[in-house]
Amino acid sequence: MKRMIGLFLVLAVLVIIPAIDLAFAAGDEPGEYLDRRVIIWNLFFRLMAVAFTVGAVVSGTLIWLVWRFRESNPKAKPTPYEGTDW
Amino acid sequence: MVLEFQKPRPIWQIMFSTHHTDIGLLYLILSLAFLFLGGSLALAIRAELFFPNIEGTGQIIADSMTFNRIFTVHGTTLIFLFIIPFASAVGNYFVPIMVRYKDMAYPKLNAIAFWMIPPAAVLVWLGFADFTWYAQPPYSIISAPGPAADMWIFGLKILGISSVLGAINFVVTILKCKHPDMSIGQVPLLAWSFLVTSCIIIVAIPTFAAALLMLLTDRLGLSGFFNPAMGGDPIAYSHLFWFTFHPEVYVLVLPAIGMMYEIIPRFSRKPIYSYNSGVFAFVLLAIVAFSSWAHHMFATGMSFTEKTVFMVGTLAAVPASAMHVFNFIATMWNGRIKFATPMMWAVGGMALFFAAGAGGVVNSAMPLDFSTHDSYWVVGHFHLFVMGTIAFASIGFVYYMFPYVTGRMYNETAGKAHFVLSFVGTVLVFFTQHVLGLYGMPRRVFDYPPIPEWIAMNQIASVGAMIIGTSMVIFLINMIYSSAKGELANIEDPFGLGGKYYYPFEAKNPHH
Repeated sequence: MKRMIGLFLVLAVLVIIPAIDLAFAAGDEPGEYLDRRVIIWNLFFRLMAVAFTVGAVVSGTLIWLVWRFRESNPKAKPTPYEGTDW
Repeated sequence: MVLEFQKPRPIWQIMFSTHHTDIGLLYLILSLAFLFLGGSLALAIRAELFFPNIEGTGQIIADSMTFNRIFTVHGTTLIFLFIIPFASAVGNYFVPIMVRYKDMAYPKLNAIAFWMIPPAAVLVWLGFADFTWYAQPPYSIISAPGPAADMWIFGLKILGISSVLGAINFVVTILKCKHPDMSIGQVPLLAWSFLVTSCIIIVAIPTFAAALLMLLTDRLGLSGFFNPAMGGDPIAYSHLFWFTFHPEVYVLVLPAIGMMYEIIPRFSRKPIYSYNSGVFAFVLLAIVAFSSWAHHMFATGMSFTEKTVFMVGTLAAVPASAMHVFNFIATMWNGRIKFATPMMWAVGGMALFFAAGAGGVVNSAMPLDFSTHDSYWVVGHFHLFVMGTIAFASIGFVYYMFPYVTGRMYNETAGKAHFVLSFVGTVLVFFTQHVLGLYGMPRRVFDYPPIPEWIAMNQIASVGAMIIGTSMVIFLINMIYSSAKGELANIEDPFGLGGKYYYPFEAKNPHH
């Protein structure tokens, strides 16, 4: 589990830092935004790529969790907490 | 817990009771009634937008003014008369039991807070104002017609007072009335969500209360705070409004997350993975809630520095929200998950919470905000939160509470059908609305030009809305039929999960 957390954190940093750079690369002069539609849409599609990548990882994990740990899965076994006063 | 339908009492005994479960039941019935009423207005909106109005065809609602009234009351109803009262229903039922106290701290105040809602609802519904749930000045001051706007203002004023009274009651109950053997670090996360939410309400609501008074005096011509003709500034209203209502987003979503914290461990048959990170994320979100209100106004001519501050403040909500999602996933990991109806709603709500949050990150990037501002992207984004996350968690919790309230079990097959249809419908409506926004369709429009892509996407969204409407009919029938004729529930373990719970459900507070 700890390895998974570590891997998740590394992936998160790898994804988030470039996204922040992209956001600040959009220009800092007021009034330029609407004139720079290509840059804005480029940023949009890059951020969407980031969002879909992270989304795919999280959604994929969730779907796998639902499939693997459902009680009807043949591999399902009682948790250590069942029958105890938790 | 009370078993109202198993041992029926005269209705007046419940109506005039100050017992927390009786008031919880009243909140529950009222909020669900307004879910159906507000939802039916949504269906009217989607029916109108199914076709563009070409030479008199495709028009269902009489005129744009009526359309504006419908979406104003739709938003006001579902936010103030469904989501918030529903959270109060859950809090009233569960918080005193969770902190092991006999009732709420101030039972009479609790009853007063509830009984302020019906007259406020009457004002909102009889007035049927047309200036959006945001009461947009200068229109709301100069042109919004007659008593409708004033009735809305008074209605919201009453609802605000009710929220503050309820919030004070929750804070005192949790902090001062919890069992002496129970530290604050042992209070269940659902109760924590109410503590944090109540603190946000107490800090945020007075600002809007002041704004409403200013709006009213502006309408009466006594002042000109937001009236440009009298030297006022409508943008000042925006700041006051969003200073209350961006934190209000968290007032709506935190109890829903608290409900997920109740359902997910129970049905995973494991304790929550990290209690402390849940508490930390709640507190962090409460702080962040007040650092992001102006992202609603990126397009109003703020300086670059101001926009950067509010963009970063908005993005600060991401780690805290991610902590909740990670906590849910880690709790389910290695569990033995029973996918009864409440769990399906909770997991579906979690998935849509993530999708809504991802859209919000894109939205909060200020250059992109100019492309999506006031478009259907925004409609899709916040509906994915309020329907996909908050309503999903709330409806899941209705199924979860059902055996405790009625002593009977709902029909599981109908509950699952309700979930599947609602999930499909929600994705169809609100994901499509994101794309529709990118294609340039503005929000709050009565009609639209016959652009083929716009027509197709509006029709997909309308079909999705009809699917949700169908699922809600199944829900209504299931609730009514099962509360009268459903199988008797085993109250100690209605969902067959085994084991003991970590706080005593068998503790029934006596009536007084």
